[in-house]
Amino acid sequence: MKKNNMVAMILAGGRGSRLFDLTKKVAKPAVHFGGKYRIIDFALSNCANSHISTVGVLVQYESILLSSYSARSSTWGLDSNGGGVYVLSPREKDETGLGLYNGTADAIYQNLDFLDQEDADYVLILSGDHIYKMDYEKMLKAHIEANAEATIAVIEVPKKEASRFGIMNTDKNDRIIEFEEKPKEPKSNLASMGVYIFSYKTLRKYLKEDAKNTDSAHDFGKNLIPAYIRDNLKLQAYRFKGYWKDVGTIDSLWEANMDLLKSNSGLDLFDPEWKIYTDDASATPQCIGSKAKIDSAFITQGAIVNGEVKQSVIFSGAEIQETAKVTDSVIMNNVVVGKGAKLTRCLVADDVKIPDGMVLGKKNSSDILLVSKALLAKAGESHE
Amino acid sequence: MSKVLGILNFEPSYVHVRGLEEFRPISATSILGRYRVIDFMLSNFTNSGVEAIKVFIKNRPRSTVEHITHTSYNLNSKRGKIQLLHGDVDYSNNEIFNVDVQAFKTYMQFIDVENPSYVIIAPSHFIFKQDFSELLDYHCKSKNDITVLYQNAKNTDKEYLMGDLLSIDDNKRITAFHKNRGKYKSGNVSLETYVMSTLTFKQLVEEATMTSSLYSLSDIVSDCARAMKIGAYQHRGFCACISTLNAYYEANMQIKKEKELLNLINDDWPIYTMTNDSCPTLYKSGAKVSGSIIANGCQIEGTVINSVIGRNVIIKEGAVVKDSVILPDTFIDKNVKLDYAVVDRLSIITHIKDLKGTREEPIYIKRGDRI
Repeated sequence: MKKNNMVAMILAGGRGSRLFDLTKKVAKPAVHFGGKYRIIDFALSNCANSHISTVGVLVQYESILLSSYSARSSTWGLDSNGGGVYVLSPREKDETGLGLYNGTADAIYQNLDFLDQEDADYVLILSGDHIYKMDYEKMLKAHIEANAEATIAVIEVPKKEASRFGIMNTDKNDRIIEFEEKPKEPKSNLASMGVYIFSYKTLRKYLKEDAKNTDSAHDFGKNLIPAYIRDNLKLQAYRFKGYWKDVGTIDSLWEANMDLLKSNSGLDLFDPEWKIYTDDASATPQCIGSKAKIDSAFITQGAIVNGEVKQSVIFSGAEIQETAKVTDSVIMNNVVVGKGAKLTRCLVADDVKIPDGMVLGKKNSSDILLVSKALLAKAGESHE
Repeated sequence: MSKVLGILNFEPSYVHVRGLEEFRPISATSILGRYRVIDFMLSNFTNSGVEAIKVFIKNRPRSTVEHITHTSYNLNSKRGKIQLLHGDVDYSNNEIFNVDVQAFKTYMQFIDVENPSYVIIAPSHFIFKQDFSELLDYHCKSKNDITVLYQNAKNTDKEYLMGDLLSIDDNKRITAFHKNRGKYKSGNVSLETYVMSTLTFKQLVEEATMTSSLYSLSDIVSDCARAMKIGAYQHRGFCACISTLNAYYEANMQIKKEKELLNLINDDWPIYTMTNDSCPTLYKSGAKVSGSIIANGCQIEGTVINSVIGRNVIIKEGAVVKDSVILPDTFIDKNVKLDYAVVDRLSIITHIKDLKGTREEPIYIKRGDRI
């Protein structure tokens, strides 16, 4: 029996400008998360655990690191024969010349030849910047059973927050009858997770039509989905229950990290049946010094703690020196927090060295302070 | 560099690591929470640019096979090769490989295939950091027939027992080998690492088998001390010979100090090991941890002092783990107190609330035990 061939396409080209200095030289999906991961590990591991063998990663913005990272298929066990991770960056084409990806739908349109070549029956569209664990195989089953042309994963969000999301209005059988992008007065609380399954033949036809339409923004939410609804194609909502988070801002990235300290957040990284895979760092085990104090923390190998850590996540290679105090903070890769420094409600970017005695962040601050090299350079200038 | 073959020898007969040895050879024993003992010597080889390595195992190859096949050791996956050559048990239940020379002879065709100019034979029960390319350079320049790596060690009355002590003359040549029976407080200890041309290696193997079927490589080398030019090359820095449970315990405790750890394992000299894809470790509120090294995947609610904690270990609230080495996948229940214990993999400690050994005689909890 021929297996239903579903090819995953991860949209990983966005700049993520609301992460400021974190995404200055690195695309958002490659930003570190949760001690040892990169954000895109979640989508890639979900694919691997859902028995998807072919994954395209669509890159554009600052893609050197993201491309080389994603291309190492074996990291996620996606290196089977005939499968793999394919890095798809914009390329020069015979008919159209060099074209950047203009919108999410256009990015897929420009890779129809890849999907043809992979002989896809279904296409799974994912975002490279969400933190969640999801079995796409189950979703495909629901898609086939409902005989749908497209299935959109939705999650229930609190009604008052619904206006921040793309909201699906459904009938009693969860068939989508209307899609509203960030509605002022939401009619439902089913938010799109940016996870779509399309039956490929129809998608191919609609993408080709969309590409010809000069008025189109070439976007799945704004153009493709409305076109499906207009033509009365069967669009099904797939209800997902569990942890899901868009980490597009400093605050939400910090929050998602903090969720790892809670036992009831719904995001269980300890589950041996659904591991999140990542690049294997050849680091030492974590070294907790004799003067260290740790109260509620998520710490990974390669970290060295000699100071005090409270309610914080410490990434690989980070060092918290003696008498330093880190509270409610996220300390990313290879950061050094000098002696006597005090950090509260901070997110410290990779490789930043916090000088001895420096105090950053406030206990009841409304926003999380992003501590980057640029911020420290500025602080240095104002001192002089 | 001329073509060099790395040979990782199996442990000699004087190695007896109480308890742990019943389940795997010393090479496959978990150390420092996330490594196996063998990772240090194999990383020495690959970090030194040795691309072909033969790993000899006396018996029970399962855990070593599993570990090595899932670790790349940063070798080029096409040009590099680690081959496992293991002994077996024959019908009369005698081990085929009693001594290393027998094993080398049995598998000589696999050594010939590599066509090496030199062989470096290294032990599997030692942990030290050594650039073998420097050792080989020295060997070639010194015109020695054989060069032996050694350490000027203190405590030879308590450690390195039954290994070789070397008499070294002013020209850095070894004039005699003596078994260390603990008579002297310090001395030059052989690190059981030998460099020689393949030709010399084959000669020694032949001579040893003709002399006695019980002869080991170290025996025949020591016999040749007068007839051949055997040089000594000094190793400096940390070194541990894991020949007893106590030595295993001490090695964990020594390396876990931050300075020693970063000296032994760093960006310039990484130690490769198998990834387990465990998530980071969660220290819950109420946990107290100090002076310890902890692997990933643990969930700690209790107290951990001056200990080494392996991967995926769970320590419940009220438990106190002190001066202990906890191997991976262990569960330590509420209010259990451990002092000077070595707890083997997959064990569950629930009912017995107090387990106490001493520094000299750590208590050992068997693999998979439920107590």
